Amino acid sequence: MNCPGAGVTIRRMNAVVYTDRDQRRVSRVVRDLIRSRELFVDLVWKELRIRYRYAVMGFLWAILEPVAMMVILTFVFTMVFADKAAAFRGGDTRPFAVVLLCGLVPWQFFATGLSKGVQSLVDNQNLIKKVHFAREIVPLASVSTCLVNFTIGFMLLVLVHVVLGGSIGVGLVWFPVVFAIEFVMVIGLVLLLSCLNVRYRDVGYIVGVAIVFGFYATPIFYTLDLVRHLGEAHPVLVRLYMLNPMALLIGAFRQVLFENRFPDVSLLIWPGVAAAACLAIGVVSFRRSGPLLSDYL
Amino acid sequence: MFGRGGLTEILRGGEGAHQTALDDVTFTVEPGDSLGIIGRNGSGKSTLLKVLAGVTLPSSGHVTVHGRVASLLELGAGFHPMLTGRENVYLNAGLLGVRHAQVEELFDRIVEFSGIGDFIEQPVDTYSSGMYVRIGFAVAAHCNPDIFLVDEVLSVGDEEFQGKCRQKIRELREQGKTIVFVSHDLSTVSALCDRVVLLEKGRMISRGSPKKTIDFYLRRIGRENGIHTMQEGRLESVFSHGRLSMYRDTDEVSGFSGFQAQVNCLGRWHNASEAQWEILERAENRCVARGTMMRLPLQYIWDMRLENGHLVWRVSLECERETAVEATEINLFLPEGYDRWHYGALAGRFPEILSSDITWMTVAPPSLECREVAALPRAGAALPPILATMATDNPQATLVWQNTDHVAGCRVLQVYAKAPEGQKTIAAGRHDLATLDVDFESGLDHIEARLKEAERRRTLRRGGLEARFHEGHIEIRHDGRLLTAAIHGYTSMLIGNLWADSPNLRWGAVEQTASSLRVSGESRRFPFRQDWEIAIEEGRVRLDIWLEALEALEVQEYHTSVLVVSDYIEWETEHERGEFPEFTAGVEDWVHANRNYAPGAWIVARGASVPALTLRSALDDVPFRMTAINAGHHQQARVLQALRTSEGSPLRFEPGRYHYFSGAVEVADA
Repeated sequence: MNCPGAGVTIRRMNAVVYTDRDQRRVSRVVRDLIRSRELFVDLVWKELRIRYRYAVMGFLWAILEPVAMMVILTFVFTMVFADKAAAFRGGDTRPFAVVLLCGLVPWQFFATGLSKGVQSLVDNQNLIKKVHFAREIVPLASVSTCLVNFTIGFMLLVLVHVVLGGSIGVGLVWFPVVFAIEFVMVIGLVLLLSCLNVRYRDVGYIVGVAIVFGFYATPIFYTLDLVRHLGEAHPVLVRLYMLNPMALLIGAFRQVLFENRFPDVSLLIWPGVAAAACLAIGVVSFRRSGPLLSDYL
Repeated sequence: MFGRGGLTEILRGGEGAHQTALDDVTFTVEPGDSLGIIGRNGSGKSTLLKVLAGVTLPSSGHVTVHGRVASLLELGAGFHPMLTGRENVYLNAGLLGVRHAQVEELFDRIVEFSGIGDFIEQPVDTYSSGMYVRIGFAVAAHCNPDIFLVDEVLSVGDEEFQGKCRQKIRELREQGKTIVFVSHDLSTVSALCDRVVLLEKGRMISRGSPKKTIDFYLRRIGRENGIHTMQEGRLESVFSHGRLSMYRDTDEVSGFSGFQAQVNCLGRWHNASEAQWEILERAENRCVARGTMMRLPLQYIWDMRLENGHLVWRVSLECERETAVEATEINLFLPEGYDRWHYGALAGRFPEILSSDITWMTVAPPSLECREVAALPRAGAALPPILATMATDNPQATLVWQNTDHVAGCRVLQVYAKAPEGQKTIAAGRHDLATLDVDFESGLDHIEARLKEAERRRTLRRGGLEARFHEGHIEIRHDGRLLTAAIHGYTSMLIGNLWADSPNLRWGAVEQTASSLRVSGESRRFPFRQDWEIAIEEGRVRLDIWLEALEALEVQEYHTSVLVVSDYIEWETEHERGEFPEFTAGVEDWVHANRNYAPGAWIVARGASVPALTLRSALDDVPFRMTAINAGHHQQARVLQALRTSEGSPLRFEPGRYHYFSGAVEVADA
C-alpha cells in the first residue's frame, strides 16, 4: 500500500463493517460484549463515582437507605399495627425486622436496578453519541452498579439476622443462585425498557409507577403465606398475584435465609422462565433498535 | 399529543415522519488521505460523520472501517458533566479504546495540549464549551487513532487553539492517519483537505479537489440565494444581493468582495449589498435587479449583461425625491493576481500589498478624461487580461485604480463620482451613474492595440516631429527620439506660495482635429481652468494656452516650461548665452543659469546629437523672462522656461479668460 509519511507501517487492521443487518445480529452480542469489557468496567466506576460524588456520607447511603426503611416499616408493622400484625403473623416467630429486610434488600435491587437501568441510555447519551461500541454495556453497567448496594444490603441482612438470634449455615449459598434469577430478569427488563425509553420517554414514568405498585404487590412487609391464605376467598386475584415473579423470588429468599435450604422448586420455575424470557426479548429488541439509538437522543 | 411521536402514532404502528438524511453516497478514503465534507446546514454532513463513526447505522448500504476511530462529533460527546476533567480524560480515552495504563503515559501531554491547566481537577460541568472542545480534541488527537473524524465543533475554540488543532491535524496527516473533516469554514477545509465532498440534501453532488468543489459550492449557494446566475460562453456571473461575482471557466475572476457599489449620503457610505434586492428581469445572460436602500429614498437599478465575453453593467440610481448624495462609487474588486495596470495611456505595476498597508491606496493618478483602463495578470495566474471602458453622462465620474488594505488584498477598479462643489443633492428621477463594459476575452494583444489607439488619438505628427499630450504635459519627439524629459512641457502657477502644476489639473477628454488637439484641465485646488490648444506645423509645435479664472485669482508668478534631455549642452537668449552646468549628485534643486533677467521672446537649447530646440513666445504684450535652468540630478534634464513674474504685488486675474501663453516649441532639423 502506498502511504505518505516516513516510517509508517500500515498494520493489518480489523475491519469493522457497519451495515444495517450486521450490527443487529443477535449472535454477535457475546462477541461485542467481550470486546467492550474494559469500557464496561470504566462505566461501572463512572456510575459509582457519580452516584456518591456530592454525597458527604458516600457509600454509607447504601446501608442507611435499607436501614431507614427497615426501621420505619418495623415501627409501623410491629407497633402501630401491633394487634393486627400479630393476628396476621399467626405463629410466625421470626423477627419482623429480618423478614422485612429479607424482602427489602432484593426488592431495592430490583427497583433501583430497573429505574436506573431504564434511564441509563438517556443519562449516558453523551457517550453513545461519541463512538461506536456495544450499547448493551450501558444498561448492563448501570444495573451492575446496583450490585454494590445489594451486596452491602445483603451483608446488613445477614448481620441483623445473626444479631437477632438467627443462625446461618451452608444453605446460604443458595441465596446468590436465587439472586441470579432476579439479576437476569432485571437485565432483560432493562434492555427492553431502556431502549423503549429512548423513543418514548413515557416508559420511565410508567416504570416509576410500576415500582411503587410492585412494592405493595410483592411480599415485602408481609409474607407470601399470608397471600396464599387468601387463595380460598379470591382464587383469581391470588393467581394473578402469583404471576409476579418477584413475589415468588422473595418467598424463595426467605426460605434460603431462615430455613437454610434450597428453596421450593415451585417458587423458582416461573421466575426462572420469566427471567429467561425477559432476557431473550430484551437482547433481541435491544439489538434491533440499539444501533439507531443515537438518532433519538 | 403525547410528546414525540404521539400515542396515536404508536398505536398505528407509525414511525413518525421519516427523513432521508443520506442517500447514494459512496466514497473511499485511503490511509493518509484527508477528506473534507462541506454542505449547507441539514445537508447530512454530520449524519455522514456519525455513520462513519458507527454512532448510527445506515438503513441500507454499508460502511467499512479499517482501524481505530477517534471522533469529535457533538459538543460534549463522551463527557459526563459530573466527573472531573481528569476522570473524563480517562473515560473519553476508554471510549476511544485506550486503556488506563496508556492514558497515564499520555495524560500530561493531553493536559498540556488542551491548555486547560488546573481546571482539569474540576467537574466538567463548570467548563465552557471551548474547554470541552479543547479537552475533547486533545484526547482524540493523542489516542493515536487510525482514523480521525472531526465535526464542526472545532469552531468553538478560540483562534489560537484552532491554529493548534490545524497544526495537529496536519501532523496526524503526515503520520499517515486518515482524516475526515466537516466544516463550514471553507478556508480551513481547503487548507487541511486533499479532497472535498459536497453534500446537498443527503446526496453527494460533487467531489474533487478542494478548490474545485468549494468554488462549485459557493456558486451553487449563490445560484439559489443570490437570486440570479448568468452564463455566456466561458463567463459566468452570479448576482447576489447587490454583489456581482464573475467566473471564467469556473475560476473566479472577481476578488474577494466581488463587484459592488455604494453611495455616500450625509457623510455615511451605504453599500448596495445592504439594500433589499429584487430581480426585475432574468434571462440566461442578462439580469436586471432593483435594490431599495433602507432608510434612504434611493433605489439602485443594475442592468447586467454578458455578451461576447464582455460584462456590460449599467448602474443607475433612482431617487424618489431630491436626495443628498455626496459621492457614489462602483468598486470592482479583482484578485491580487493582477499586477499591471493601464490607465488611459499610462501604465504601471500595482505596488505589492504589504501587511503594513492598512488603508486603500490610489495607484494611478485619477483623470476625468480617462475612460478606458486595463489590468493584466501576473504570469501564471489563471486570470484573463481585463479591459474596462466606462460610458457615462456624469462629468464627475472618474476611473481610479486602487490597492486595498492588506486584509482585503485586492486590486480595485473604482468609478468614483463626487458631487460638484455647492451641489450636494441630486434631483428626483433616474440617474445613470455609469455603464461599465468589462472585456474578459480579448486578451493582451487586443488590449495593447486598444491602448495604442487611445494613445494615437492624442498624438500629433508632422514630418519627423511628433507631439503627444499626456495628462497636462506634452512630449515632443523628433524622428522617433524623445527630446523632452522628466515632466516634459508643462505649465505651473504659483498661487498662495503653492505651485499648481498642469499635470495635477483634472484633464478632460482630448478633442483632436487633423493637426491640433484641444483639451482643458481644471484645478482641484484653485478656481481656474486652462484650455490648451496644441497644433503641429512644419518644424514646430504651436502652443496656445488660455487661463480661465473662475473667481478672482492672485498669482505670484507663472511659467510655461519645456524640460529637455541632458544631451542639450548650450543655451542662448536674445541677451546672453551659456552652457548648462554638469549635474551634481545630491543636488535636486533647480539651478538658474541666466544672469540677465530682461524680458525676451525666445530661448534656444543646442546639443551635438540633438536638433536645436527653441521655446518662443508670441505674446508681445506679456513680458516673459526666458530662463535657462538645470534641473535636479535625479531628473537629468535642462529646462527652458518662459516665466512671468510679478513686480512686488501679485498678478490679479479678475474672473474671465486670459491668454496665458502663446508661442511654439521649434525644433530645427540638425
